Amino acid sequence: MWRCLIVEDDAENARYVAEGLREHGHVAVVCRDGMEGLQRAVSEAWDLIVLDRMLPNEVDGLAILSTLRNLGKKTPVLVLSALSALDERVRGLNAGGDDYLTKPFAFSELMARLEALMRRARSGPEVRELQVADLRVNLVNRSVERAGTAIALQPREFRLLAYLMTHARQVVTRTMLLESVWDYHFDPQTNVIDVQISRLRQKVDTGFALPLIHTVRGVGYLLSETGEAAAA
Amino acid sequence: MSAATAPLRGPWRSVAFRIALNYGLLTLFFMAVLLSIVYFQTVVGQRHHIDRQITLASQRLVARFVQGGAEALTEQIAINLADGVDSDSEVYLLQDSSGQRVAGNLPAAAHWRSVGDAISSQDTTRGGQRVRLRVVARALDDGKLLVVGRDLRDQRQVELAVGRAILAAALVALLLVIVGAYLFRLDIETRVAGIRRTAARIEAGELHQRIPGADQGDEFAGLSQDINRMLDRIEDLMAGVRHVSNTIAHNLRTPLSRVLLRLRQAQRPGTPLEEMHEAAQTAVREIEDLTVVFDKLMQIAEAESGARRHGFAPLALDDIATGVVELYDALAEAQGATLTLATDDAAVARGDRDLLASALANLVDNALKYGGSAGLPAAVQVRVERWGEVSRIIVRDNGPGIPAAEHARIGTRFHRLPGDPARPVPGYGLGLASVMAIVHLHGGRVLLADAAPGLVMTVELPALPG
Repeated sequence: MWRCLIVEDDAENARYVAEGLREHGHVAVVCRDGMEGLQRAVSEAWDLIVLDRMLPNEVDGLAILSTLRNLGKKTPVLVLSALSALDERVRGLNAGGDDYLTKPFAFSELMARLEALMRRARSGPEVRELQVADLRVNLVNRSVERAGTAIALQPREFRLLAYLMTHARQVVTRTMLLESVWDYHFDPQTNVIDVQISRLRQKVDTGFALPLIHTVRGVGYLLSETGEAAAA
Repeated sequence: MSAATAPLRGPWRSVAFRIALNYGLLTLFFMAVLLSIVYFQTVVGQRHHIDRQITLASQRLVARFVQGGAEALTEQIAINLADGVDSDSEVYLLQDSSGQRVAGNLPAAAHWRSVGDAISSQDTTRGGQRVRLRVVARALDDGKLLVVGRDLRDQRQVELAVGRAILAAALVALLLVIVGAYLFRLDIETRVAGIRRTAARIEAGELHQRIPGADQGDEFAGLSQDINRMLDRIEDLMAGVRHVSNTIAHNLRTPLSRVLLRLRQAQRPGTPLEEMHEAAQTAVREIEDLTVVFDKLMQIAEAESGARRHGFAPLALDDIATGVVELYDALAEAQGATLTLATDDAAVARGDRDLLASALANLVDNALKYGGSAGLPAAVQVRVERWGEVSRIIVRDNGPGIPAAEHARIGTRFHRLPGDPARPVPGYGLGLASVMAIVHLHGGRVLLADAAPGLVMTVELPALPG
């Protein structure tokens, strides 16, 4: 269970995010005003903060973010904004945001990103080898094997699989894959990511009884032995 | 009244006037220095000349006295006075020890004292007038006193005349400076007025106005050219904005009204749950599509406004091409198409990696979509090369190409090729518009060519040295 602070002036959006988080069993507190948001963000302990950029009362999201970071607080912050230009994203991330999601957004995308953030915030020492069921990925010598058989992957396919493995049992969206594996921040017109995944799936899942890479309809992908995302 | 149309009040507000006046005052100062030199050269030089003449005349007379005595001297004085040379200004006096005049044209006076060779200025009365004399008085051996000198009246008049001439010249020069500054100001103001008039008309909404006289080749023409170029760009941008708002109105309203209709229908009482569900799903899909269109329009607008340029860095185009080809190779494979890459690591340009990758992705995407015809799978070649001062990314397909008549309209927002109605291809007609905007942002251009069969799209960017 996470304690989440949602700083968002739009009532509908805030309600939508808060209810979604509560449905997933988390605690969500909504602040509709920049001043109050800043106070609560600084004075209370949160597991994560969802922050809108344009807020009333002369305190905007980035000001809250930089104040928080200047005070040395490392709470993961996801910036949620209608400002979608790459410049704005860079500004949001430079101010100390851990991730940036533009409106309009799907709740599943938000959830997938929050889970990735939480996972990263909790991650312990550097992991060298990842394993899900009988699939093992060695991040050091970049080798992959399933049930004892080595699988040859191209560098990009390896990065894709490594990302899915690092976020095992979590939903990852296409945009997240494009951003982390290819480091691109644009929307390719065709579903190139889907095709990349299906090629990876062929190499990883074909010939094995248990499929590991699952498609989550309308959202993205999931690497798990059960086809279900683990509860955070 | 706006600042652009307000007249300049008073000559002091005019830069041209102040520059001309300052320059004029400087000239005046130099002139004053020069005239002073002329004045002192004339006046002082003349005085030296007079003193020399006095010395010479007195020496000659003393010599005459030594040779011939007092009579010869008296005679010589009479000759000097009668010879008609300088007879107005030269003065002589030979006075005996009792103070009686022996010869000469000066009245005898007790105040004449021998002062040796020194010439001095003396005031005396001559012909009823107070005059200033320049004289030398010498005591002769027989006790007489010889006074030789010059009446300075003429000299004074020359000095006065020179002074008056200099003053008059200075006044005329000052007048000329003021008139010159005024004319200079008028000239500059006329040139500036053209610019100001154009600015005022543009402010009033006549965006097509341009500053006249931009071809005269002087500084103002240069400035006018720069401003005209800026105005061209602004007009282009404004036209773009108008076009976008029109097309947005058309292209976004249609799907929006479709969604609205569907949802209103589903709202009617008695609508089966399944139908409502379907309407909601359609609405979600349509709105997602609209978001994509909107994002693309924003991206194009962003690229066109040039705001991203500050983040530009040197980029290796082969890296970008490799990344994009890697992103699309799985798609090509799945389609049974071929996607090949030939790179040249000298192709370097300044730019934004994301934007250029997005532009190339667009071209590759199009090539894979439209390439291939008559049952042939698409074959797409991506080539990166350095060609002298330009770096090029070339995307070539083997599709039907684009008819030459359409080339000019390629890149217009929401413009879509007529295409095969039996084989509709998804899209919004924004892809190439965004490619064009991105390439223009990078100072490059997009060239279309027929590969017979197929289309060659070439992105040319200014290459970085190295």
